[in-house]
Amino acid sequence: MAPFPDGWLLDVTESDDGRSVVLWVKSRRTGRVRRTAVEYRPPFRVTGPRTELAPLARYLGDRPEVETVTLGSGRPSLFDRRPRPMLTVTPARLPARRALARAVDAFGGYTAFTLYDVDLGAPQLYHLTHGLYPFAPVVGAGAALVATEPPETIDYATPPLRVARLEVRIAGERRGRIPPPDGRIGAVRLGDVTLEGPDEADLLRALVGELAASDPDVLLTQGGDSFDLPWLYRRAAACGIAPGEFALGRERAGFRPTRPARTFESYGRVLHRDATFPLPGRFHIDRENSFLYDDAEIAGLVDAARLSRLSLQTVVRQSPGTCFTAMEMAHALALGAHVPWKKNRPEGFRRGDRLVAADRGGVIFLPPVGVHDRVDEFDFASLYPHIMVRKNLSAETLECRCCPRTPIRAPGLGYRSCVRRVGLIPRTLAPLLARRLAYKAALRQPGISPEEASRLTRRVRMLKWILVTAFGYQGYRNARFGRIECHEAINAYARDLLASLIPVAERSGYAVLHGIVDSLWVRPADPLRPPDPEAFARAVTERFDLPLGYEGRYRWIVFLPAVTHGLGVPNRYYGLYEDGEFKLRGIGGRRHDTTGLVRRFESEVLSLFRRARDAAGVHALLPRALARADLIAARVAAGDWPVDELLVRHRVGQDPDAFVTFTDSVAALRQLAEAGARRGAGESVRFVLLDRESRSFRHRVRVAELLTGEERYDREAYLDLLARDTETLLAPLGVERTALLERWGVGPAPPRGPYRSPETAAQSTLDGAPRPGPRAPA
Amino acid sequence: MGRTAPTYRQALEERMKRWDEFARLLTTPEEREAFELVRTGARRYAAQATYVGSPDLLESILLSVLTDLAARIRSAPGEPRARP
Repeated sequence: MAPFPDGWLLDVTESDDGRSVVLWVKSRRTGRVRRTAVEYRPPFRVTGPRTELAPLARYLGDRPEVETVTLGSGRPSLFDRRPRPMLTVTPARLPARRALARAVDAFGGYTAFTLYDVDLGAPQLYHLTHGLYPFAPVVGAGAALVATEPPETIDYATPPLRVARLEVRIAGERRGRIPPPDGRIGAVRLGDVTLEGPDEADLLRALVGELAASDPDVLLTQGGDSFDLPWLYRRAAACGIAPGEFALGRERAGFRPTRPARTFESYGRVLHRDATFPLPGRFHIDRENSFLYDDAEIAGLVDAARLSRLSLQTVVRQSPGTCFTAMEMAHALALGAHVPWKKNRPEGFRRGDRLVAADRGGVIFLPPVGVHDRVDEFDFASLYPHIMVRKNLSAETLECRCCPRTPIRAPGLGYRSCVRRVGLIPRTLAPLLARRLAYKAALRQPGISPEEASRLTRRVRMLKWILVTAFGYQGYRNARFGRIECHEAINAYARDLLASLIPVAERSGYAVLHGIVDSLWVRPADPLRPPDPEAFARAVTERFDLPLGYEGRYRWIVFLPAVTHGLGVPNRYYGLYEDGEFKLRGIGGRRHDTTGLVRRFESEVLSLFRRARDAAGVHALLPRALARADLIAARVAAGDWPVDELLVRHRVGQDPDAFVTFTDSVAALRQLAEAGARRGAGESVRFVLLDRESRSFRHRVRVAELLTGEERYDREAYLDLLARDTETLLAPLGVERTALLERWGVGPAPPRGPYRSPETAAQSTLDGAPRPGPRAPA
Repeated sequence: MGRTAPTYRQALEERMKRWDEFARLLTTPEEREAFELVRTGARRYAAQATYVGSPDLLESILLSVLTDLAARIRSAPGEPRARP
């Protein structure tokens, strides 16, 4: 029986004295959070030829930023079979770690040495070397703090976190508008309390007082990274309040962000992350700057923080891949290995035909366009992670030297898997898979409370994200423990699985309709004798040793065609399960850029189609669906559709100055820039189309931030949008956009001439002119 | 993303751009329609062609087009029905 904890370790942060970390422990009895600083300067390791390590040790021994250097031996890499000479370097100050590592790398001409454990944060290493983790129940204090249960515990008590919403209001401005650069803060909401007052300095001091009194653990904001926090700090500085007096965390910190804003590309999309402001001892969750919060909420994020040993503050802002990598690091250190700084395992050269054969994804069929009924859907649960575990796929276990006769070989590629030791990836994944199954099983328990159910659901979703990224990170060039051949092997196993599944399904009495990587849509070959789907799922699970689940039977499902060539699109469909639930993929309502208008039309059509019992029923409802479209079109054409339902959202794909053509987004960006709000690549703009033909950025669109509600929108543009969406949904029933537009009295759009802006002069002065300051939340 | 080789679908679309030149000299609507059928046939079995992973793009395209044609012939009136 574990000892009763004194409290919970909320977070470990780096102290600004440069020599220690700060432990933040929440007392179980009082609910207050105590700060304890513990001296901690973790070393990093260097391997290389002994002849090179000796001069390096002498060189480092003379440097003031080095505390100690010791030459020993070790097996820092998972690939190491015997110990190698290894230098252990302890920097004098924590912030000097990286600079020192770079100096070592340079000393070796960037080739002689391999460095380990360089870029793990001191807090992360402190957790790992002291058996601690975020939100661990703990006894003791300071350096003697001990967790009472391991991080992998599935059934744990979450610490009672105090969560308070924080919202800043600019005097005389509505939220969501572009605030004037010197906008005074008129009110701040913190939890249930709203602070107001004519004197801004008093108001800001009152906020600090209120924070101390209510002492929340989590500040929850909507756009806090881009607006609320920078604005608070900016105004505090303007009022002459010193950083020492104005701490939003549990200790004072500077007003500058710890992480600047950045723009990056992921899966072909340009994304933007706002700057992060430090709040030592307290967590700030910005719903707009968090990819995971909406799915995982605090319950899921706490789970991920425990397993990854990353601060909640980090988990909430990073991708699930970062969590997964941190979990791998934890397992690597537990195995006695260290974490390589720079991945030094380039892809090997190989013959072109081998590359073509290896570099393939999963099987993705083109579904038959049309309305189908009595369709059964089956999905493998976490297929890729299961394959990695079952086939022992990990960088160091693939093509190992110890198992030339292994029976585990990737189909078609022949990559061998080790049978003598379990790889790092399977070690990391297996407990996650078990955990997810345990949570799902707990969810099925009768009498589970709604709070518990919600908590478990969030954890399941968080784990799902982490498991999904685990696969992608095998092929990512910078992934620390990734290896492209693993990525290829996983795909090869998955392709082979789906191919093997087709004859099995046919023998069971099914005809295969559609398949995507790990999902299968089938239909009884003989409608009068449908197979038992649960029995089929069980048989497949047993036969392939991979969990196939029965998703359900569709009353009907519509596979949609591509506009360009008319064949089916793999992931664009909508269907109604027998339990009355819809599954929608790739249609307007699922997309971020959909207008309220299109959403409204889709939900009307779907609620109409809900009555259909089968494919014939859907066909019979077509005239009524078209009548709905006509009604909506008539209102749009009359000009009285509310403009806030016509907002189009666009993610800006490149730097605003880099656009060559004058698009709606460019017009929106110029309008925002003119109003003093500059947006960069990866950020979004939202606007209403006023006149698509216009060559003026002022008249073409109106951005959401400047919307009055009285705008006259471009009717033809919105009728065209509506027609496009109607065609998307109803094309398999024979509906065409051009016919719809004709029916609604809209002619084809006239061809556009070359772009000549009437404001060319004004634009040149706009280039780079507006100050890059905090922005209003979108 | 770190793909080195283009996917079969990408390679196919790239190759079919060349076919546009071929189509420009077709003179009757029937021929143009038939040509579109060939294009559709080439695209229809992308999943299967990807699965083979042949280094010979043309082999995959031919298999796809021929399978598509054979399936159409089998399901045409007067012929034995193709399996669904």
